[in-house]
Amino acid sequence: MRFTALFRSFPSRAWRALAVAALALPTLGLWQLDGPQSTFDVKGPVAQSQLNLFMVTFWVTLVLFIVVGGLLAYATWKFRAKTEADERAAPPPQSHGNPMVELGITIASILCLVIIAVPTLKAIWFTDDVPAERKGEAYEITATGYQWWFKFDYPGETAKTLNPVSHKLEDAPLSTANELVIPAGRPVHINLRTVDVIHSFWVPKLAGKVDMMPNRANRMWLQADEPGYFYGQCAQYCGEDHSLMRFRVIALSATDFAAWLVNQKLPARTVAAMADAPANPLPNSKIELAMLDLTGRPSGEALSGSDIFNHDPFAAWQARQAPVAAQETPALIAEGRRLFKEKTCIGCHTIRGQEGVGVTGPELTHVGSRSTIAAGVLENSSQRMRDWITDPQHWKPGDKMFNGGYIDPTNPGADRKISLSDANVTALVAYLQSLK
Amino acid sequence: MAEALVKPALLTHEVPAAAKPGLLFPRPTTKTGLVGWLTTVDHKKIGILYAAFAICFFLIGGLEALGIRTQLIVPNNHFITPEFYDQLFTMHGTTMIFLAVMPLNAAFFNLLIPLQIGARDVAFPRLNAFSLWVFVAGAIILNIGWVTGAIDAIAARTGHGLLFNIHEPDIGWFGYSPLTSKIFTPGISTDLWTLGLQVLGVSSIVASLNFIVTIINLRAPGLTMMRLPVFTWMSLVTSFLLVLAMPAIAIALVEVIFDRHFGTHFFEVSGGGQPILWQHLFWVFGHPEVYILILPPMGYVSEILPTFSRKPLFGYPVVVFSGVTIGFIGFGVWSHHMFTTGLGAVATAAFSLATMAIAVPTGVKIFNWIGTLWGGRLVMRTPMLFALGFIWMFMIGGFSGIMHAAAPADAEQHDSYFVIAHFHYVLIGGATFGLLAAITFWFPKFFGRMINDKIGKLSFWLIFIGFNVTFFPMHFLGLNGMPRRTWTYDSNMGWNDLNLLCTLGAYLLGLGILVYFANIVWSYFNGEKAGNDPWDGRTLEWSIPSPPPEHNFAAIPVVHDRDAWWYEKTHREETARDVAATIKAESSHGGIHMPDQSWFPFIAALGMLLGGLGFATYHLPVALVGLALVMFGSYLWALEGPGGYHIHLDKDGNATEDHGSH
Repeated sequence: MRFTALFRSFPSRAWRALAVAALALPTLGLWQLDGPQSTFDVKGPVAQSQLNLFMVTFWVTLVLFIVVGGLLAYATWKFRAKTEADERAAPPPQSHGNPMVELGITIASILCLVIIAVPTLKAIWFTDDVPAERKGEAYEITATGYQWWFKFDYPGETAKTLNPVSHKLEDAPLSTANELVIPAGRPVHINLRTVDVIHSFWVPKLAGKVDMMPNRANRMWLQADEPGYFYGQCAQYCGEDHSLMRFRVIALSATDFAAWLVNQKLPARTVAAMADAPANPLPNSKIELAMLDLTGRPSGEALSGSDIFNHDPFAAWQARQAPVAAQETPALIAEGRRLFKEKTCIGCHTIRGQEGVGVTGPELTHVGSRSTIAAGVLENSSQRMRDWITDPQHWKPGDKMFNGGYIDPTNPGADRKISLSDANVTALVAYLQSLK
Repeated sequence: MAEALVKPALLTHEVPAAAKPGLLFPRPTTKTGLVGWLTTVDHKKIGILYAAFAICFFLIGGLEALGIRTQLIVPNNHFITPEFYDQLFTMHGTTMIFLAVMPLNAAFFNLLIPLQIGARDVAFPRLNAFSLWVFVAGAIILNIGWVTGAIDAIAARTGHGLLFNIHEPDIGWFGYSPLTSKIFTPGISTDLWTLGLQVLGVSSIVASLNFIVTIINLRAPGLTMMRLPVFTWMSLVTSFLLVLAMPAIAIALVEVIFDRHFGTHFFEVSGGGQPILWQHLFWVFGHPEVYILILPPMGYVSEILPTFSRKPLFGYPVVVFSGVTIGFIGFGVWSHHMFTTGLGAVATAAFSLATMAIAVPTGVKIFNWIGTLWGGRLVMRTPMLFALGFIWMFMIGGFSGIMHAAAPADAEQHDSYFVIAHFHYVLIGGATFGLLAAITFWFPKFFGRMINDKIGKLSFWLIFIGFNVTFFPMHFLGLNGMPRRTWTYDSNMGWNDLNLLCTLGAYLLGLGILVYFANIVWSYFNGEKAGNDPWDGRTLEWSIPSPPPEHNFAAIPVVHDRDAWWYEKTHREETARDVAATIKAESSHGGIHMPDQSWFPFIAALGMLLGGLGFATYHLPVALVGLALVMFGSYLWALEGPGGYHIHLDKDGNATEDHGSH
């Protein structure tokens, strides 16, 4: 009986539950749009213009919703049949409409849209390209999408590389991967390219996305008003690891940016082997262990782990810019460099001035100074780099990062030609971490 | 015979007439059993079959959605692999659009159009059967990867290796080139997708032509275009949209097929192809497709609201004109799906403004529905609740649509969860709520029993709350930067709580859907008997028995006004005179003429299935057999001729079939 009573009162109860739920929504954090990719916490003029326009559409539609929803709710309440007798009563007058009402609502709707259309047109032209009067100060970048990482070229800069034969310094283009460093307070013009499928370049706090289309020269502009560290992500489905194709943008003050450029233009760093250098073990113990359950079960924990990285990634990035001599073991680093060649890593990765010459994988000349690895998925720490090199397929299933060596086609059952021992990985990590 | 009419249509048993001689084998006359259903040309049976298949796929698509939501319940989840996740969202979109909402709408086209216009069947009954079976063929081609994939998974577990190496496509329902290129998706899952959609396109175009001809030519005397029920009007507009939009995707799919099979360079980047071309062709189809999905539900709602308000639709001509305008402008806004592809400022501005323009006729419709409620006497039954829910949810979806129309704001929203929220408000809150309203509204007509109203209302509230808990938070996820088609996300992004909430909401929504369809099944067997006109309806389908007899109308009605049945109810004498005159005229030329059943539509569709599978899997002999079967079926279908027989009714309305003369 109790059940049927509950049942009968269901609609009113549902309304009550709905009202309670509506009141509870803000406490659930619905309104806290403060994530690292928030489109509300904007940090540059392009994203600001896009947010301002959104707010115009929001207020116009909110007013419309209150008016139309109010009418609908009122009509539903006022004209509902209240009793069974009401339901059986003679039908109401069979009216057919009112042309003046129709005309009125048509004109009113058009006026509402004009309120949105005018700022829309303004924002379309503002966000399309760097404003004419600021073209001169715009800094140029070329961003290229790969399955599943980003390459960033600096066409206005010239780096140095070491000629392997003559051992002389020569000019080379400057490029980096997965972390784009830009000058703050200056418009940045980005050429968007792709080598395979469509990707999309999106740094929500700085600018809305623009796609990287094959056989099309797309472009966009953005500006970070202040120095900072911004999260970005590929926004167009691009295959298996689309969700793990992330990147960062680091905006630096003019002087910091100049200093960063000076360092980046240098060929890869070599650590001189000093006989009396202490044989410190790598500081693995400081870093939390992999929090993701390796059996593949959900953990709900952050992938990119350390506290400083999670709470002040900009500081974490800055802390990585200079080498810490005490943490480096020259002999181990030299061994890592040798293994990087022997294990054919050089076939995919460029390390400018050293053996790496491949271009299909991310550029690693200064990988030690980056705050993330694996296209923004993992924090750049010795432990994470070890995890990544040991089992890239666990972190990014289907990824093209390849550590298994190749199989001899004449003897497919045999062991792979290349395998990495634990000691090998330790040396490789030491080498890569030394590339500041 | 009269008793059979009050039984549910699926349970009728009739003594078949003697088989007729046909080409190669006898022409079937049995109306029941497997043969009866496979060879039927009765629009009502075809409609029921469409609905049955569509509801099955609707449930499959729902399960796919629950898989997606379960993967996203916590950050960094490894519940399923990214590859399987990609297959799930690809097939969720493809299934819900092409195999659930479109065929459910087609089911109602079949069930209702002839009844609403006072006709005995559609213009081309055998072509209608062909559309149905071709749809089933396309659906099989699209979904066969689940079966082969499951067999492969079992084989792999038991150490037998891959038997088929065919899984579901993982290219997204939009199949953006160059992901469909052989370099990036070498497996044949993509070929199954292209061929499956191509076959479905044949079904859609054929069906639409049939409905256009039916609506234009088979209207009862006096049923002028501006007296047409709004649902039939919206079906007409939808049919034109299909006929005009489908060729765009057909061409695009042919180009993909050529690229993959014959090495052409339409989209092949290495050969100078242009992937952007695919997007234009796809959305020239894909945007009208949105209106193909939503216009028929607008039609259901425009029938249901007047019935339960007990007064005519407010502003009928404006509602019809708005529908036509939406269909027309719907062809001029496709690039608003491409605002981030680098269209350039001028094109972006043009598509932005055109998209805003389409909000005007849509808004006008909402006002007219409110005007319909105004001054009415609203009877709150399950269909009415879904119809009111439709207005609310569609309104919210429309408002977020206006936000996307502002292109610079869309640059942040595009491909984020904000968009997912938007189009689910339109396609679940809009199209699906409309369909759920329509199923409960017309169920009594076709199965002779009422839907249990209490459980119906319970299911409405479960669905309504579950839907909003699932999709409203997605607006905030999107604004907080969560991209769509994302297999997983990190826990420091501020998305954890809302994703958990969305997933719980999805389970509630799933429960609501389960209750809804359980109620339908229960009511089919146990529901209260429905009379001819249980809702005090307004249009002609309510003037005939429930379920309708094979010939629909004993006498073709004469229409004097909009809401023809409402007029008849208030003008009994005039109606009696009309009926007498029509029966006399009809019996003077042999009685009620009905079309004969046929095997050939089914055979031709079987050929489409074999051809599609053979072509997609690179088995030329199978493809050729399929092609031969299509040719064979079509030629014999033409040579066989329409056939037909007469039905004679006695004074009590009992029918006798006369197969002797055509």
